Amino acid sequence: MARERYRDDLDALRADVVALGEDVVAQLERALDALEAGDEDAAEAVVAADAEINERYLDLEQACIDLFALQQPVASDLRFVAASFKILTDLERVGDLASNLGRYTRDTPESRLDTVDVRAIGAETVALVEAALDAYEREDVAACHRVAERDDEIDALCRTAGERVVRDLLGEAAADGDAWGVEAILEDVSRALLTVRDLERVGDHAVNVAARTLYLVDNDSALLY
Amino acid sequence: MSETETEPRTSETDTPSTTTAGETDEEIREEWRNYEFAGPAKIAVEDLDVYYGDDHALKGVSMDIPEESVTALIGPSGCGKSTFLRCLNRMNDRIKAAEIDGSVQFDGEEIYQDRVDLVELRKRVGMVFQAPNPFPKSVRENITYGPRKHGDIDTGLLARLTGRRDEKAAEDLVERSLKQAALWDEVSDRLDDNALGLSGGQQQRLCIARCLAVDPEVILMDEPASALDPIATAKIEDLIEELAEEYTVVVVTHNMQQAARISDQTAVFLTGGELVEYDDTEKIFEDPQSQRVEDYVSGKFG
Repeated sequence: MARERYRDDLDALRADVVALGEDVVAQLERALDALEAGDEDAAEAVVAADAEINERYLDLEQACIDLFALQQPVASDLRFVAASFKILTDLERVGDLASNLGRYTRDTPESRLDTVDVRAIGAETVALVEAALDAYEREDVAACHRVAERDDEIDALCRTAGERVVRDLLGEAAADGDAWGVEAILEDVSRALLTVRDLERVGDHAVNVAARTLYLVDNDSALLY
Repeated sequence: MSETETEPRTSETDTPSTTTAGETDEEIREEWRNYEFAGPAKIAVEDLDVYYGDDHALKGVSMDIPEESVTALIGPSGCGKSTFLRCLNRMNDRIKAAEIDGSVQFDGEEIYQDRVDLVELRKRVGMVFQAPNPFPKSVRENITYGPRKHGDIDTGLLARLTGRRDEKAAEDLVERSLKQAALWDEVSDRLDDNALGLSGGQQQRLCIARCLAVDPEVILMDEPASALDPIATAKIEDLIEELAEEYTVVVVTHNMQQAARISDQTAVFLTGGELVEYDDTEKIFEDPQSQRVEDYVSGKFG
Protein backbone atom coordinates (compact mmCIF):
# COMPACT_ATOMS: atom_id res chain seq x y z
CA MET A 1 0.00 0.00 0.00
CA ALA A 2 2.77 2.38 0.86
CA ARG A 3 4.39 1.50 -2.43
CA GLU A 4 1.07 1.60 -4.23
CA ARG A 5 0.38 5.07 -2.90
CA TYR A 6 3.89 6.10 -3.87
CA ARG A 7 3.26 4.91 -7.45
CA ASP A 8 -0.10 6.71 -7.39
CA ASP A 9 1.62 9.89 -6.17
CA LEU A 10 4.10 9.70 -9.04
CA ASP A 11 1.31 9.14 -11.57
CA ALA A 12 -0.68 12.01 -10.07
CA LEU A 13 2.35 14.30 -10.29
CA ARG A 14 2.72 13.51 -13.99
CA ALA A 15 -0.99 14.12 -14.64
CA ASP A 16 -0.98 17.35 -12.62
CA VAL A 17 2.10 18.72 -14.38
CA VAL A 18 0.47 18.00 -17.75
CA ALA A 19 -2.82 19.59 -16.60
CA LEU A 20 -0.97 22.70 -15.43
CA GLY A 21 0.83 22.79 -18.78
CA GLU A 22 -2.44 22.53 -20.67
CA ASP A 23 -3.93 25.40 -18.70
CA VAL A 24 -0.81 27.49 -19.28
CA VAL A 25 -1.16 26.82 -23.03
CA ALA A 26 -4.80 27.91 -22.82
CA GLN A 27 -3.67 31.12 -21.09
CA LEU A 28 -1.19 31.72 -23.87
CA GLU A 29 -3.86 31.19 -26.52
CA ARG A 30 -6.25 33.56 -24.79
CA ALA A 31 -3.49 36.17 -24.49
CA LEU A 32 -2.76 35.89 -28.22
CA ASP A 33 -6.46 36.18 -29.10
CA ALA A 34 -6.83 39.23 -26.89
CA LEU A 35 -3.75 40.77 -28.44
CA GLU A 36 -4.98 40.19 -31.96
CA ALA A 37 -8.43 41.59 -31.17
CA GLY A 38 -7.10 44.42 -29.01
CA ASP A 39 -9.58 43.23 -26.36
CA GLU A 40 -8.68 44.86 -23.04
CA ASP A 41 -11.16 42.84 -20.96
CA ALA A 42 -9.99 39.52 -22.32
CA ALA A 43 -6.39 40.63 -21.72
CA GLU A 44 -7.20 41.59 -18.13
CA ALA A 45 -8.80 38.17 -17.59
CA VAL A 46 -5.55 36.50 -18.66
CA VAL A 47 -3.55 38.65 -16.25
CA ALA A 48 -5.96 37.90 -13.41
CA ALA A 49 -5.94 34.15 -14.05
CA ASP A 50 -2.16 33.98 -13.57
CA ALA A 51 -2.57 33.99 -9.79
CA GLU A 52 -4.34 30.64 -9.90
CA ILE A 53 -1.58 29.20 -12.10
CA ASN A 54 1.00 30.39 -9.58
CA GLU A 55 -0.88 28.81 -6.72
CA ARG A 56 -1.10 25.45 -8.45
CA TYR A 57 2.55 25.69 -9.36
CA LEU A 58 3.47 26.13 -5.70
CA ASP A 59 1.24 23.22 -4.68
CA LEU A 60 2.91 20.95 -7.20
CA GLU A 61 6.34 22.10 -6.16
CA GLN A 62 5.37 21.15 -2.60
CA ALA A 63 4.19 17.76 -3.85
CA CYS A 64 7.68 17.20 -5.31
CA ILE A 65 9.32 18.28 -2.05
CA ASP A 66 7.07 15.88 -0.13
CA LEU A 67 8.08 13.05 -2.44
CA PHE A 68 11.76 13.87 -1.98
CA ALA A 69 11.46 14.12 1.79
CA LEU A 70 9.13 11.23 2.48
CA GLN A 71 9.83 8.69 -0.27
CA GLN A 72 13.47 9.36 -1.12
CA PRO A 73 12.98 8.41 -4.77
CA VAL A 74 15.97 6.82 -6.52
CA ALA A 75 16.96 5.91 -10.08
CA SER A 76 14.28 6.69 -12.70
CA ASP A 77 11.85 7.84 -10.01
CA LEU A 78 14.44 10.35 -8.77
CA ARG A 79 15.01 11.65 -12.31
CA PHE A 80 11.25 11.87 -12.83
CA VAL A 81 10.60 13.94 -9.70
CA ALA A 82 13.68 16.12 -10.23
CA ALA A 83 12.76 16.72 -13.89
CA SER A 84 9.15 17.46 -13.03
CA PHE A 85 10.28 19.90 -10.35
CA LYS A 86 12.26 21.82 -13.00
CA ILE A 87 9.58 21.50 -15.68
CA LEU A 88 7.02 23.06 -13.34
CA THR A 89 9.15 26.18 -13.15
CA ASP A 90 9.29 26.42 -16.94
CA LEU A 91 5.53 26.04 -17.22
CA GLU A 92 4.95 28.66 -14.56
CA ARG A 93 7.25 31.01 -16.53
CA VAL A 94 5.24 30.41 -19.71
CA GLY A 95 2.20 31.43 -17.65
CA ASP A 96 4.02 34.63 -16.65
CA LEU A 97 4.84 35.37 -20.29
CA ALA A 98 1.18 34.86 -21.28
CA SER A 99 0.33 37.27 -18.50
CA ASN A 100 2.91 39.74 -19.90
CA LEU A 101 1.21 39.62 -23.30
CA GLY A 102 -2.10 40.26 -21.58
CA ARG A 103 -0.62 43.24 -19.78
CA TYR A 104 0.72 44.79 -23.01
CA THR A 105 -2.73 44.52 -24.62
CA ARG A 106 -4.48 45.81 -21.52
CA ASP A 107 -2.22 48.83 -21.20
CA THR A 108 -1.96 49.81 -24.87
CA PRO A 109 -4.78 48.09 -26.80
CA GLU A 110 -4.41 50.38 -29.78
CA SER A 111 -0.76 49.70 -30.29
CA ARG A 112 0.31 48.69 -33.76
CA LEU A 113 1.84 45.31 -34.36
CA ASP A 114 0.90 45.01 -38.01
CA THR A 115 4.45 44.69 -39.27
CA VAL A 116 4.84 41.43 -37.31
CA ASP A 117 2.83 38.28 -37.84
CA VAL A 118 2.32 37.71 -34.11
CA ARG A 119 -0.48 35.25 -34.77
CA ALA A 120 1.81 32.97 -36.78
CA ILE A 121 4.69 33.09 -34.29
CA GLY A 122 2.25 32.69 -31.41
CA ALA A 123 0.65 29.64 -32.99
CA GLU A 124 4.10 28.10 -33.43
CA THR A 125 5.03 28.66 -29.79
CA VAL A 126 1.70 27.26 -28.58
CA ALA A 127 2.25 24.17 -30.70
CA LEU A 128 5.78 23.83 -29.37
CA VAL A 129 4.73 23.91 -25.70
CA GLU A 130 2.02 21.36 -26.51
CA ALA A 131 4.55 19.12 -28.23
CA ALA A 132 6.96 19.38 -25.28
CA LEU A 133 4.19 18.51 -22.81
CA ASP A 134 3.20 15.55 -24.94
CA ALA A 135 6.81 14.37 -25.06
CA TYR A 136 6.96 14.62 -21.25
CA GLU A 137 3.70 12.77 -20.76
CA ARG A 138 4.67 9.95 -23.12
CA GLU A 139 8.40 10.09 -22.32
CA ASP A 140 9.11 10.33 -26.05
CA VAL A 141 12.80 10.90 -26.73
CA ALA A 142 12.46 11.56 -30.48
CA ALA A 143 9.75 14.14 -29.81
CA CYS A 144 12.09 15.95 -27.39
CA HIS A 145 14.70 16.36 -30.11
CA ARG A 146 12.05 17.58 -32.56
CA VAL A 147 10.97 20.26 -30.06
CA ALA A 148 14.54 21.57 -29.92
CA GLU A 149 14.74 21.68 -33.73
CA ARG A 150 11.42 23.47 -34.09
CA ASP A 151 12.53 26.08 -31.58
CA ASP A 152 15.40 27.00 -33.88
CA GLU A 153 12.77 27.93 -36.47
CA ILE A 154 10.90 30.06 -33.94
CA ASP A 155 14.15 31.80 -33.00
CA ALA A 156 14.73 32.61 -36.68
CA LEU A 157 11.17 33.91 -37.08
CA CYS A 158 11.58 36.11 -34.02
CA ARG A 159 14.90 37.45 -35.17
CA THR A 160 13.46 38.45 -38.54
CA ALA A 161 10.38 39.93 -36.88
CA GLY A 162 12.50 41.96 -34.50
CA GLU A 163 14.58 43.36 -37.33
CA ARG A 164 11.46 44.23 -39.31
CA VAL A 165 9.91 46.06 -36.35
CA VAL A 166 12.94 48.24 -35.95
CA ARG A 167 13.37 48.85 -39.69
CA ASP A 168 9.72 49.54 -40.56
CA LEU A 169 8.51 51.46 -37.54
CA LEU A 170 11.66 53.44 -36.96
CA GLY A 171 11.93 54.12 -40.67
CA GLU A 172 8.41 55.48 -40.52
CA ALA A 173 9.32 57.68 -37.58
CA ALA A 174 12.37 59.05 -39.33
CA ALA A 175 10.30 59.85 -42.39
CA ASP A 176 7.69 61.49 -40.22
CA GLY A 177 10.10 63.78 -38.39
CA ASP A 178 7.43 64.81 -35.86
CA ALA A 179 8.73 64.52 -32.24
CA TRP A 180 5.32 63.60 -30.83
CA GLY A 181 4.89 60.96 -33.51
CA VAL A 182 8.37 59.53 -32.82
CA GLU A 183 7.50 59.01 -29.16
CA ALA A 184 4.28 57.21 -30.01
CA ILE A 185 6.10 55.03 -32.50
CA LEU A 186 8.84 54.23 -29.99
CA GLU A 187 6.17 52.91 -27.66
CA ASP A 188 4.86 50.73 -30.44
CA VAL A 189 8.38 49.55 -31.22
CA SER A 190 9.21 48.60 -27.66
CA ARG A 191 5.89 46.81 -27.23
CA ALA A 192 6.35 44.91 -30.47
CA LEU A 193 9.88 43.94 -29.50
CA LEU A 194 8.77 42.82 -26.05
CA THR A 195 6.00 40.75 -27.58
CA VAL A 196 8.40 39.06 -29.96
CA ARG A 197 10.94 38.49 -27.21
CA ASP A 198 8.32 36.97 -24.89
CA LEU A 199 7.15 34.57 -27.58
CA GLU A 200 10.74 33.58 -28.24
CA ARG A 201 11.13 32.90 -24.51
CA VAL A 202 8.04 30.69 -24.55
CA GLY A 203 9.82 28.57 -27.16
CA ASP A 204 12.92 28.39 -24.95
CA HIS A 205 10.83 27.13 -22.02
CA ALA A 206 9.31 24.48 -24.27
CA VAL A 207 12.84 23.34 -25.10
CA ASN A 208 13.67 23.23 -21.38
CA VAL A 209 10.67 20.96 -20.82
CA ALA A 210 11.93 18.70 -23.60
CA ALA A 211 15.50 18.80 -22.23
CA ARG A 212 14.39 17.75 -18.74
CA THR A 213 12.22 15.04 -20.25
CA LEU A 214 15.22 13.69 -22.10
CA TYR A 215 17.13 13.65 -18.82
CA LEU A 216 14.30 11.84 -17.05
CA VAL A 217 13.95 9.16 -19.74
CA ASP A 218 17.56 8.50 -20.65
CA ASN A 219 19.62 10.42 -18.12
CA ASP A 220 20.67 12.31 -21.27
CA SER A 221 21.75 15.93 -20.83
CA ALA A 222 22.11 16.59 -24.59
CA LEU A 223 19.56 19.41 -24.69
CA LEU A 224 20.57 21.05 -21.42
CA TYR A 225 22.37 24.00 -23.00
CA MET B 1 6.38 35.91 -4.05
CA SER B 2 6.20 38.44 -1.27
CA GLU B 3 8.56 38.37 1.63
CA THR B 4 7.14 37.12 4.86
CA GLU B 5 7.20 39.33 7.87
CA THR B 6 9.40 38.19 10.67
CA GLU B 7 8.73 39.05 14.26
CA PRO B 8 11.79 40.21 16.14
CA ARG B 9 12.64 37.77 18.88
CA THR B 10 14.10 39.31 21.97
CA SER B 11 14.94 35.97 23.55
CA GLU B 12 17.12 34.93 20.62
CA THR B 13 20.37 36.16 22.05
CA ASP B 14 20.15 34.49 25.41
CA THR B 15 18.72 31.09 24.53
CA PRO B 16 20.87 28.24 25.81
CA SER B 17 20.32 25.89 22.88
CA THR B 18 19.58 27.49 19.54
CA THR B 19 17.23 26.05 16.98
CA THR B 20 16.37 26.69 13.36
CA ALA B 21 13.73 29.24 14.34
CA GLY B 22 15.71 30.68 17.20
CA GLU B 23 13.49 29.02 19.79
CA THR B 24 14.64 27.00 22.75
CA ASP B 25 13.86 23.31 22.96
CA GLU B 26 11.58 24.18 25.84
CA GLU B 27 9.56 26.58 23.68
CA ILE B 28 9.35 24.02 20.93
CA ARG B 29 8.18 21.40 23.39
CA GLU B 30 5.52 23.79 24.60
CA GLU B 31 4.42 24.25 20.98
CA TRP B 32 3.92 20.59 20.14
CA ARG B 33 2.39 19.85 23.48
CA ASN B 34 -0.41 22.12 22.38
CA TYR B 35 -0.41 20.70 18.89
CA GLU B 36 -3.63 19.04 17.85
CA PHE B 37 -3.47 16.10 15.47
CA ALA B 38 -6.25 15.33 13.07
CA GLY B 39 -7.79 12.42 14.94
CA PRO B 40 -8.79 12.03 18.58
CA ALA B 41 -6.09 10.75 20.93
CA LYS B 42 -6.14 6.99 21.50
CA ILE B 43 -3.31 7.19 23.97
CA ALA B 44 -2.45 10.25 26.02
CA VAL B 45 0.89 10.27 27.82
CA GLU B 46 1.58 12.93 30.41
CA ASP B 47 4.90 13.61 32.14
CA LEU B 48 6.19 10.08 31.90
CA ASP B 49 9.45 9.34 33.69
CA VAL B 50 11.15 5.96 33.69
CA TYR B 51 14.15 5.04 35.81
CA TYR B 52 16.16 1.83 35.59
CA GLY B 53 17.88 2.05 38.96
CA ASP B 54 19.97 5.23 38.77
CA ASP B 55 19.48 5.57 35.04
CA HIS B 56 16.84 8.14 34.11
CA ALA B 57 15.69 6.50 30.86
CA LEU B 58 12.74 8.76 30.02
CA LYS B 59 12.43 12.36 31.13
CA GLY B 60 9.01 13.90 31.44
CA VAL B 61 7.62 12.71 28.12
CA SER B 62 4.19 13.96 27.13
CA MET B 63 2.49 13.13 23.86
CA ASP B 64 -0.90 12.26 22.41
CA ILE B 65 -1.09 9.38 19.97
CA PRO B 66 -3.99 9.85 17.55
CA GLU B 67 -6.12 6.85 16.65
CA GLU B 68 -6.14 5.04 13.33
CA SER B 69 -2.82 6.41 12.20
CA VAL B 70 0.85 5.47 12.22
CA THR B 71 3.05 7.19 14.78
CA ALA B 72 6.79 6.64 14.37
CA LEU B 73 9.27 6.92 17.21
CA ILE B 74 12.81 7.61 16.02
CA GLY B 75 16.10 8.42 17.66
CA PRO B 76 19.53 6.97 18.34
CA SER B 77 20.12 3.83 20.41
CA GLY B 78 19.56 4.38 24.09
CA CYS B 79 17.34 7.41 23.57
CA GLY B 80 14.40 5.77 25.32
CA LYS B 81 12.10 5.17 22.37
CA SER B 82 11.73 1.43 23.06
CA THR B 83 11.30 2.12 26.75
CA PHE B 84 8.54 4.54 25.85
CA LEU B 85 6.86 1.99 23.57
CA ARG B 86 6.98 -0.66 26.28
CA CYS B 87 5.31 1.72 28.72
CA LEU B 88 2.24 1.82 26.51
CA ASN B 89 1.19 -1.71 27.41
CA ARG B 90 3.11 -1.94 30.69
CA MET B 91 5.74 -4.32 29.38
CA ASN B 92 8.23 -2.52 31.61
CA ASP B 93 6.39 -3.96 34.62
CA ARG B 94 8.31 -7.11 33.88
CA ILE B 95 11.62 -5.36 34.55
CA LYS B 96 12.10 -5.29 38.33
CA ALA B 97 14.47 -2.31 38.40
CA ALA B 98 12.13 -0.15 36.33
CA GLU B 99 10.35 2.63 38.15
CA ILE B 100 7.63 4.44 36.27
CA ASP B 101 6.15 7.84 37.06
CA GLY B 102 3.48 9.78 35.23
CA SER B 103 0.30 9.04 33.41
CA VAL B 104 -0.62 6.94 30.39
CA GLN B 105 -4.27 7.06 29.44
CA PHE B 106 -5.76 4.63 27.01
CA ASP B 107 -9.15 5.83 25.75
CA GLY B 108 -9.17 8.15 28.76
CA GLU B 109 -8.49 5.32 31.26
CA GLU B 110 -5.32 5.42 33.32
CA ILE B 111 -3.38 2.20 32.67
CA TYR B 112 -0.96 2.73 35.56
CA GLN B 113 -3.29 1.86 38.39
CA ASP B 114 -3.53 -1.31 40.41
CA ARG B 115 -6.89 -2.58 39.24
CA VAL B 116 -5.90 -2.66 35.55
CA ASP B 117 -6.08 -6.19 34.15
CA LEU B 118 -2.73 -6.58 32.37
CA VAL B 119 -3.89 -9.52 30.26
CA GLU B 120 -6.82 -7.47 29.01
CA LEU B 121 -4.58 -4.41 28.46
CA ARG B 122 -2.09 -6.38 26.38
CA LYS B 123 -4.92 -7.91 24.39
CA ARG B 124 -6.09 -4.41 23.47
CA VAL B 125 -2.56 -3.10 23.01
CA GLY B 126 -0.70 -5.78 21.07
CA MET B 127 3.00 -5.89 20.36
CA VAL B 128 5.27 -7.08 17.56
CA PHE B 129 8.98 -7.40 18.25
CA GLN B 130 12.16 -6.86 16.28
CA ALA B 131 13.01 -10.52 15.69
CA PRO B 132 10.10 -12.64 14.51
CA ASN B 133 9.22 -14.92 17.40
CA PRO B 134 6.50 -17.36 16.31
CA PHE B 135 5.66 -20.21 18.62
CA PRO B 136 7.31 -23.49 17.53
CA LYS B 137 3.89 -24.73 16.50
CA SER B 138 1.88 -24.90 13.32
CA VAL B 139 0.89 -21.73 11.46
CA ARG B 140 -2.71 -22.37 12.48
CA GLU B 141 -1.90 -22.83 16.17
CA ASN B 142 0.12 -19.63 16.20
CA ILE B 143 -3.06 -17.76 15.30
CA THR B 144 -5.51 -19.64 17.53
CA TYR B 145 -3.29 -19.74 20.63
CA GLY B 146 -4.09 -16.23 21.84
CA PRO B 147 -7.85 -16.25 21.26
CA ARG B 148 -8.06 -19.67 22.92
CA LYS B 149 -6.21 -18.39 25.98
CA HIS B 150 -8.50 -15.38 26.09
CA GLY B 151 -11.49 -17.70 25.75
CA ASP B 152 -12.58 -16.20 22.46
CA ILE B 153 -12.69 -19.61 20.80
CA ASP B 154 -13.11 -22.99 22.41
CA THR B 155 -11.18 -25.84 20.93
CA GLY B 156 -9.45 -27.08 24.09
CA LEU B 157 -9.99 -30.17 26.19
CA LEU B 158 -12.88 -28.72 28.18
CA ALA B 159 -14.61 -27.67 25.00
CA ARG B 160 -14.18 -31.14 23.57
CA LEU B 161 -15.50 -32.76 26.77
CA THR B 162 -18.50 -30.49 26.81
CA GLY B 163 -19.05 -31.10 23.15
CA ARG B 164 -18.59 -27.49 22.21
CA ARG B 165 -16.09 -26.96 19.40
CA ASP B 166 -15.83 -23.72 17.55
CA GLU B 167 -13.88 -25.22 14.66
CA LYS B 168 -15.61 -23.00 12.15
CA ALA B 169 -14.92 -19.89 14.21
CA ALA B 170 -11.29 -20.89 14.55
CA GLU B 171 -10.92 -21.51 10.81
CA ASP B 172 -12.52 -18.16 10.01
CA LEU B 173 -10.24 -16.42 12.46
CA VAL B 174 -7.12 -18.06 11.01
CA GLU B 175 -8.10 -17.03 7.50
CA ARG B 176 -9.12 -13.49 8.46
CA SER B 177 -5.99 -12.82 10.50
CA LEU B 178 -3.66 -14.20 7.86
CA LYS B 179 -5.40 -12.21 5.17
CA GLN B 180 -5.18 -9.03 7.24
CA ALA B 181 -1.46 -9.66 7.63
CA ALA B 182 -1.11 -10.19 3.85
CA LEU B 183 0.15 -13.73 4.44
CA TRP B 184 -2.83 -15.90 3.52
CA ASP B 185 -1.91 -16.37 -0.15
CA GLU B 186 1.53 -17.59 0.80
CA VAL B 187 0.59 -20.04 3.57
CA SER B 188 -3.02 -21.11 2.97
CA ASP B 189 -1.86 -24.58 1.87
CA ARG B 190 0.63 -25.02 4.73
CA LEU B 191 -1.43 -24.12 7.78
CA ASP B 192 -0.32 -27.28 9.55
CA ASP B 193 3.38 -26.80 8.83
CA ASN B 194 5.64 -25.63 11.60
CA ALA B 195 5.82 -21.81 11.61
CA LEU B 196 9.57 -21.94 12.08
CA GLY B 197 9.82 -23.24 8.51
CA LEU B 198 8.56 -19.94 7.11
CA SER B 199 10.94 -17.25 5.84
CA GLY B 200 11.87 -14.38 8.17
CA GLY B 201 9.48 -11.98 6.48
CA GLN B 202 6.66 -14.53 6.60
CA GLN B 203 7.37 -15.24 10.26
CA GLN B 204 7.12 -11.53 11.04
CA ARG B 205 3.80 -11.25 9.22
CA LEU B 206 2.64 -14.33 11.11
CA CYS B 207 3.51 -12.53 14.35
CA ILE B 208 1.45 -9.57 13.16
CA ALA B 209 -1.42 -11.96 12.27
CA ARG B 210 -1.09 -13.51 15.72
CA CYS B 211 -1.31 -10.06 17.25
CA LEU B 212 -4.39 -9.22 15.14
CA ALA B 213 -6.13 -12.48 16.06
CA VAL B 214 -6.94 -11.25 19.57
CA ASP B 215 -8.57 -8.17 18.06
CA PRO B 216 -6.39 -5.39 19.50
CA GLU B 217 -7.00 -1.66 19.17
CA VAL B 218 -3.40 -0.55 19.26
CA ILE B 219 -0.41 -2.33 17.73
CA LEU B 220 3.04 -1.51 19.06
CA MET B 221 5.93 -2.47 16.83
CA ASP B 222 9.54 -2.42 17.93
CA GLU B 223 11.78 -2.36 14.85
CA PRO B 224 9.45 -4.74 13.02
CA ALA B 225 11.45 -4.81 9.79
CA SER B 226 15.05 -4.37 10.88
CA ALA B 227 15.79 -8.10 10.63
CA LEU B 228 14.27 -8.39 7.16
CA ASP B 229 15.49 -7.93 3.60
CA PRO B 230 14.19 -4.98 1.51
CA ILE B 231 11.42 -6.98 -0.17
CA ALA B 232 10.08 -8.38 3.09
CA THR B 233 10.50 -4.89 4.59
CA ALA B 234 8.38 -3.37 1.83
CA LYS B 235 5.64 -5.92 2.57
CA ILE B 236 5.69 -5.07 6.26
CA GLU B 237 5.60 -1.34 5.46
CA ASP B 238 2.63 -1.81 3.15
CA LEU B 239 0.93 -3.83 5.85
CA ILE B 240 1.55 -1.17 8.52
CA GLU B 241 -0.12 1.47 6.38
CA GLU B 242 -3.06 -0.79 5.71
CA LEU B 243 -3.45 -1.64 9.40
CA ALA B 244 -3.60 2.06 10.27
CA GLU B 245 -6.99 2.25 8.60
CA GLU B 246 -8.44 0.22 11.47
CA TYR B 247 -5.85 0.25 14.21
CA THR B 248 -3.63 2.72 15.99
CA VAL B 249 -0.07 1.78 15.12
CA VAL B 250 3.03 2.93 16.97
CA VAL B 251 6.35 1.96 15.39
CA VAL B 252 9.85 2.27 16.76
CA THR B 253 12.37 2.35 13.95
CA HIS B 254 16.04 3.14 13.42
CA ASN B 255 15.29 3.58 9.77
CA MET B 256 14.40 7.24 9.29
CA GLN B 257 13.41 6.72 5.67
CA GLN B 258 10.97 4.10 6.85
CA ALA B 259 9.48 6.51 9.35
CA ALA B 260 9.18 9.13 6.58
CA ARG B 261 7.50 6.68 4.21
CA ILE B 262 4.93 5.11 6.47
CA SER B 263 4.08 7.37 9.37
CA ASP B 264 1.61 10.19 9.86
CA GLN B 265 3.33 11.61 12.95
CA THR B 266 6.93 11.30 14.02
CA ALA B 267 8.33 11.69 17.50
CA VAL B 268 12.07 12.27 17.80
CA PHE B 269 13.75 11.09 21.00
CA LEU B 270 17.35 12.12 21.53
CA THR B 271 19.97 10.92 23.94
CA GLY B 272 19.02 11.26 27.55
CA GLY B 273 15.45 10.05 27.25
CA GLU B 274 14.07 13.34 26.00
CA LEU B 275 11.29 13.68 23.48
CA VAL B 276 12.68 16.65 21.57
CA GLU B 277 10.10 17.13 18.85
CA TYR B 278 6.82 15.56 17.82
CA ASP B 279 4.87 16.67 14.77
CA ASP B 280 3.37 15.69 11.44
CA THR B 281 5.90 13.56 9.60
CA GLU B 282 6.17 16.08 6.74
CA LYS B 283 7.06 18.78 9.24
CA ILE B 284 9.74 16.68 10.95
CA PHE B 285 11.43 15.76 7.69
CA GLU B 286 11.01 19.03 5.82
CA ASP B 287 11.16 21.70 8.47
CA PRO B 288 11.97 20.51 11.99
CA GLN B 289 11.94 23.23 14.63
CA SER B 290 14.81 21.94 16.74
CA GLN B 291 18.37 22.19 15.45
CA ARG B 292 19.16 18.88 17.16
CA VAL B 293 16.33 17.19 15.29
CA GLU B 294 17.45 18.82 12.04
CA ASP B 295 20.96 17.45 12.62
CA TYR B 296 19.66 14.00 13.50
CA VAL B 297 17.28 13.54 10.55
CA SER B 298 19.86 14.90 8.11
CA GLY B 299 22.52 12.53 9.39
CA LYS B 300 24.81 15.08 11.04
CA PHE B 301 25.58 13.17 14.19
CA GLY B 302 27.92 14.06 16.98
